[in-house]
Amino acid sequence: MTLQVLPRGKWLGARVKRVEDPRFLTGEAKYLADITLPGTVHVAFVRSPHGHARIRRIDTATAKEMPGVLAVFTADDVAPLPPLASGLPVEGLKPTPQPVLAKEKVRFVGEAIAAVVAESRYLAEDAAEQVTVDYEPLPAVVDAQRAMQPDAPTLHEELGSNIVYQKTTTLGDIEGAFAQADHVFRRRLHTNRFVAAPMETRGCISVYERASGHLTFYSSTQMPHMLRLFLALFLGIPEHKVRVISPEVGGGFGQKMTIYPEEVVVAYLGKVLGRPVKWVEDRRENLAAATHAKEQIIELEAAVRSDGRILGLKARLIGDGGAYSFNTASALIEPLAGAGLIPGVYDIQHYQHEVIAVCTNKSPVGAYRAVGWTAAQTARELFFDEIARELDLDPAELRRRNVISSEQFPYTTCTGMVYDSGTYRESLERALELVGYGELRRRQAELRQQGRYLGVGISLYVEPTAWGSEIALQAGFPFPSHDNATVTIDPSGKVRVAVSVHSHGQGHETTLAQVAAEILGVSIEDVVVEHGDTDRAPWGMGTYASRSAVIGGGMVALAAQEVRQKVLRVASRLLEVAPEDLDIQDGTVFVKGAPDRSLSMFQVAFAAYLDNRTRAEGEEPLLSATKFYDPRATYSNGCIVTVCEVDIETGLVRLDRIVAVEDCGTMLNPMIVEGQVMGAIAQGIGGALYEQITYDESGQLMTDTFVNYLLPGAAEVPPLTIEHLESPSPVTIGGIKGIGEGGLLATPASVAGAVLDALAPFDVHIERLPLTPERIVEAVGHS
Amino acid sequence: MARVSIGLTVNGQAVSAEVEPRMTLADFLRDELGLTGTKLGCEHGVCGACTVLIDGAAVRSCLMLAVQAEGADVLTIEGLSHNGLHPVQEAYWEHHGLQCGFCTPGMVLTAYAFLQERPDPSDEEIREALAGNLCRCTGYQNIVVAVRAAAEKLAGAR
Ligand code: FES
Ligand code: FES
Repeated sequence: MTLQVLPRGKWLGARVKRVEDPRFLTGEAKYLADITLPGTVHVAFVRSPHGHARIRRIDTATAKEMPGVLAVFTADDVAPLPPLASGLPVEGLKPTPQPVLAKEKVRFVGEAIAAVVAESRYLAEDAAEQVTVDYEPLPAVVDAQRAMQPDAPTLHEELGSNIVYQKTTTLGDIEGAFAQADHVFRRRLHTNRFVAAPMETRGCISVYERASGHLTFYSSTQMPHMLRLFLALFLGIPEHKVRVISPEVGGGFGQKMTIYPEEVVVAYLGKVLGRPVKWVEDRRENLAAATHAKEQIIELEAAVRSDGRILGLKARLIGDGGAYSFNTASALIEPLAGAGLIPGVYDIQHYQHEVIAVCTNKSPVGAYRAVGWTAAQTARELFFDEIARELDLDPAELRRRNVISSEQFPYTTCTGMVYDSGTYRESLERALELVGYGELRRRQAELRQQGRYLGVGISLYVEPTAWGSEIALQAGFPFPSHDNATVTIDPSGKVRVAVSVHSHGQGHETTLAQVAAEILGVSIEDVVVEHGDTDRAPWGMGTYASRSAVIGGGMVALAAQEVRQKVLRVASRLLEVAPEDLDIQDGTVFVKGAPDRSLSMFQVAFAAYLDNRTRAEGEEPLLSATKFYDPRATYSNGCIVTVCEVDIETGLVRLDRIVAVEDCGTMLNPMIVEGQVMGAIAQGIGGALYEQITYDESGQLMTDTFVNYLLPGAAEVPPLTIEHLESPSPVTIGGIKGIGEGGLLATPASVAGAVLDALAPFDVHIERLPLTPERIVEAVGHS
Repeated sequence: MARVSIGLTVNGQAVSAEVEPRMTLADFLRDELGLTGTKLGCEHGVCGACTVLIDGAAVRSCLMLAVQAEGADVLTIEGLSHNGLHPVQEAYWEHHGLQCGFCTPGMVLTAYAFLQERPDPSDEEIREALAGNLCRCTGYQNIVVAVRAAAEKLAGAR
């Protein structure tokens, strides 16, 4: 690969301030809710108050008569819209299509039943309250293991069971491993259901032009092109007449990857009503009906030698999929992705896993930063801590004895992942050094004498990144995954980079401009990055799964490289030297060794477009190239260590500090890498200590506001120390690896591990997260 | 619904309008005045995205009705600086105190009001002052650094 090493000059690898920031700081940036087109009407959805019920009758007559109301749509009115089903089916996963508006039954609190359209949002909400639905409540099931029992209430009667997927896979010689074991340990962990909760909720606007049949659809989505495709298919509008615009997006974290029923309904309403139709989700809707994440029941069994070497693992992963598996394999993504990463950074070749996906009366599951991996990492790391305690071994030492060493790269895991490079052992040692591990253990012993409980938690991780087709396959999802960039130098010498990856906080307008500027030899101020509009950006999958730095960086590098060659060819004719004798710096093309023989980028570009004499036979005037990139699989890694103190009387956890050593290969902009790591760590703290979506037995949602669904605030996040190790990937352009998810993949295990380490003298046993004060007090009380 | 007339000052400009009594101040600013820099993250008073300053104090505009702002002097993010960036905004920029930017207007205004009261705060005090503003992207650390840097900038300018 020609671009194995990217030039590192002024821009690449530098802590460049983000070029997109001023418009956010001044409030000028326009998010979905900030866009109002002339003639806009507003939607409020009527949603199910029941977890499970049959719909007997819906009465919309009163609502339709309310002031300002244009229409009330129910399932019958949207009959032409097909139900949402897995766009890309996975073998063995039973389909559970979700009607865009519930028809005969509702299966979770918050499921949309009717859409009310009115002149203002206030009026739409008034009218929505007047829609009366006659329900026949049914028994609900909110626990995945209960849902697996034959007598459990069944969500999808036609399937005869709530189990939509079940498969056992045996890798290596699992029986042999267990036969050789000195000890066999077991642990069960039921991870919490928690949610991305981006600060900006979902929302969309549908604008249909009847004369031309064109649909312009604004959506707070992470995947504009995929949304365009599916809207075209669902609505029966030819794709070339659909444009999706994703304006500024206030965070996504995976939740905005899904193509939602509300989006399809709103798109359709725009088409039928012929006026711009706008829907902005409120926070209650977001907590009830946007995708949930991360809840699994994981049972692990380990065959262990007395020296702490793990010989084999058995795992059973039950994913609590919620009411529908309506998006791409959504009920399955958690347990299937989790199963692949149970061995993680450890050298374990004998492994058996059973993956089960179950429907329950809860909001469906979708992606949230480190899908499946958070639960798997948490279960395994907490299990390893327990094994270390049982064997009276230091947990760091247990990890040393099992971790894959640098000499083993490329390392193929028993689950088929090919770890390309990394610093697994090194990141562990460095994190321990930074946190002062030896001293902490001494201090811990001392404090215990005084009745104070300090804990240290270690979470050592590997993160599949770059999400191209190869890594998707290695992670168990055989779907294609690639993207495109178009790099163009305009006639005046300025650079336009259009990309299919989408930014909702990642700073692509800066990092991808850094790549283009470095390769083209121009200043970052002369580069603009365009994304989020299907009419301006080339086709691609969007942003998810820590892929944009690798794929975005790679495709921009490829396209910029090609444009650079064109520039050099044009300049070579103008300066009458060979292209190889030319270089570009600071926007000037010059003869190497004779810098006064030079041309500005303006002169070269102007000539390329407008002076036909500069063009060689067969050369095109446009200084533009479009390149796609589907990277090889690459894996980031790191180690997160948490120090905390637990008050056993109140159950309160005080986080003292968190140290994260991470390795994402070549960094485009370390400042942005650190931002990604720190943000993900804070979400991980939420997952370990505060955040949980809960339902009662009847399927009622108990957490529908930020008053009862708690996000960590500034006071809950301790000082974070981030340090980088850099082992460039041997298989990607520039050696870049992704970084988006590691913090959330590994932090819950680190924080929960620290708490359980603090409580070690009490020999507590905790099977559920988050570690709330009540759970801690109860566990200590039972010890 | 009968409308009520109100008069107030927004970003230094006198404003008079007729509003429905139930309209929140946030919706008034956003929908009636087109000042969409004020964000809505929860509409129930927890996230702080809707923070504006009323007579110098940070207030959640989603919890307040427009009619309650009668006679008030309101400052929104759009009014913080007319020429380039305010030192607080600059500090957020320089220290990467924002990612998706959605919490940012509320964060900046909260920090601005806090620094007027407490020009030389400790990190702990900064974290407490920001405790009512949720950010899902940054993990807060860079925001704390930015607020500290803003305090220094403002002190230097005095
Ligand atoms: S929108 Fe006002 S506090 Fe959240
Ligand atoms: S920057 Fe996204 S919520 Fe704060």
